Amino acid sequence: MTMEREISEKRKRQCAKLVEISKAIVKQSFEKFRHEELGITWTGGKDSGLCFWIIRQVCQERGIPIPKTMIIGEGDEFKEIEQFVEGISKEWNVPLEVCRNEDVLKAANFRLNAPVKVKDLSERNQAELKRIGFDDEEFPFEAESYAGNHLMKTVVFNEFLERNKILGIFQGLRWDEHPARFNDDYFEYKEAALFVPAHTRIRPILHFTEKDLWDTYAAFKIPYCTLYEKGYRSLGAKTTSQISVEGVPAWLQDLENTEERAGRRQDKEKAMERMRKLGYM
Amino acid sequence: MRNVVLLTIDTLRRDMLGCYGGGSLTPFIDSIQNRSVRFDQAHSTGPYTRAAFTGILTSSYYLEYGRQRELSPSRVLISEVLKRSGIVTAGFHSNPHLSDYLGWNRGWDVFYDSMEEEVDPKVPYIKAKRINRKIDAWLSFNAGSGVYKPFFLWVHYMDIHEPYIPEKKYIDLADGSIRLGEEEMFELFQNVLLPRDVSNQRNIEILKKLYSAHVREMDESVKDFFGILEKWNVLKDSWIILTADHGDEFGEHGGLSHDGKMYSELVHVPLILHEPTRENGEVCSTLVSTLDIAPTILYLLGLNPPKAFQGDSLLPLENYPLKGVFGEALDKHGSNEKGEEKEIHYYREGDFKIVYRERDDAWELYDLKADPKEKNNIIDTSPTAEDLKQKVRPRVKRYQGSCS
Repeated sequence: MTMEREISEKRKRQCAKLVEISKAIVKQSFEKFRHEELGITWTGGKDSGLCFWIIRQVCQERGIPIPKTMIIGEGDEFKEIEQFVEGISKEWNVPLEVCRNEDVLKAANFRLNAPVKVKDLSERNQAELKRIGFDDEEFPFEAESYAGNHLMKTVVFNEFLERNKILGIFQGLRWDEHPARFNDDYFEYKEAALFVPAHTRIRPILHFTEKDLWDTYAAFKIPYCTLYEKGYRSLGAKTTSQISVEGVPAWLQDLENTEERAGRRQDKEKAMERMRKLGYM
Repeated sequence: MRNVVLLTIDTLRRDMLGCYGGGSLTPFIDSIQNRSVRFDQAHSTGPYTRAAFTGILTSSYYLEYGRQRELSPSRVLISEVLKRSGIVTAGFHSNPHLSDYLGWNRGWDVFYDSMEEEVDPKVPYIKAKRINRKIDAWLSFNAGSGVYKPFFLWVHYMDIHEPYIPEKKYIDLADGSIRLGEEEMFELFQNVLLPRDVSNQRNIEILKKLYSAHVREMDESVKDFFGILEKWNVLKDSWIILTADHGDEFGEHGGLSHDGKMYSELVHVPLILHEPTRENGEVCSTLVSTLDIAPTILYLLGLNPPKAFQGDSLLPLENYPLKGVFGEALDKHGSNEKGEEKEIHYYREGDFKIVYRERDDAWELYDLKADPKEKNNIIDTSPTAEDLKQKVRPRVKRYQGSCS
């Protein structure tokens, strides 16, 4: 689906400029790494979608194929995202790898919130839990929990790099999506460590605000997942993503004065609740 | 190269530690003083977590970048500097004010803030014993093989923080005369501490005894923590900095807990720099700030501080500048009153401490040598008053941007 929304010529030029900045980052990456050393992370969401579209533009200009692309199967996906990813993959001929932590999925019997016993996991996954200081005997299977996020996303990501000998990996992150991103760099080199191959994270769309992003989608008719029309603003795992404003497309919501990730901030609610209990609020 | 461990203890009053002239509640911390530099005049940049931790972890003042609850992107966390330099960074804590969603997770390889954990409905944080188990697991991965990259480990314990509901065994160790059940302790929290009711001295004494029991428990957790470092053979190669973000009040200035006040029970904090291979203990009486902790960590790891850091490295001691120390906060912290928050500042220089309250445009000045309890305001009579006011004035409302 693409957007039928009028964007002024001036705004289009502004969006084009932002896209050019991103393309320059992508081009630098193609100079720095060989094609087979580059990889793309894709989620089917708006950020990685924009990043992916920009990389594809550069590939088309250069007449080269899209680099190897990973999507994480965390066991809790929206069917709308699956359909969107499948459609685009076919249309754009994406060399897509669906990456999953099969060991964890099996231990959870593929059921959300099922208890996963740490001792039932592979040695590697057990060691990975120690890496983050996880010391419990079990955890519920949930992709965005502390243990789940690490095993279902970080570990799978590192394995993808390792398996494909990827040295440069594109990520669709933006500075304004989360306070933790504020100081991120376009290029960040990660040294090798146990289970982590040395690699460079490449973030071509850091400078896009949420409004810039949606205006760019409209200006260039970039395809997006239909869930954003229903009121979702930020998509993660199905059970942890909530509609922000029912029936109001993401780009028509109050982007400036409300939180982009409000629908995904369960940790925020817990933090607020704890602050209240500490007697501070 | 060595590791640096920063162990911060929420709400720990300096005068509770034996080594700072307190009682016998902290035998373990007292026992490491013969291999530590103990800073006798360390001051926090603020009287509550947010105002204090911007100083500790970003070497910047609380109101430097406006009044936002989120960590400003203009601040630089010590973890960000270290991670860029190839130091492994890990933080384990349970304080919601320092959580992922407020942006404190920048620059950490591992950042555990416990926000997704189910906690006791009465006690909204994870206890130190649990934090220690996580560090044990983390070290088993990171140092278990004996070969590891230098790390910066930040550990923060919440156990002393209200509500004071210590286990019986620690109550007995601190003061066996208290006989209260969990419910009664929680009632004291709800009915006395939360409303800041200081009308009954007996209640305040009981609260302080319960608090003391938590201090006793904390000392045991610190001992266990050192044991974990030793178990993974990293203790001998680590500098350990132990401090508190702020203290706690027990009626000294008409209140309880830690609100927007700048008296010693809240901002004069313990600060201990422990080096396991050191051969003697030392006490440093120079006036220092918790703002100096992050630059000191960089010094220990042979790195230069970024421009955003406003403190000075505590080491080498002989190079530390003679200076005054500042602190700042907002005055409605801990209060249920609505309305605009106003600033409160302090500046300490030599034996004098000046406090400014924006709300009443009021000044207080104390000669801490003659009046360590800060009861006698000499602002109208002291010849140094005007000079000290000049130091504070430029800092009041210096951030004029929006309060986003």
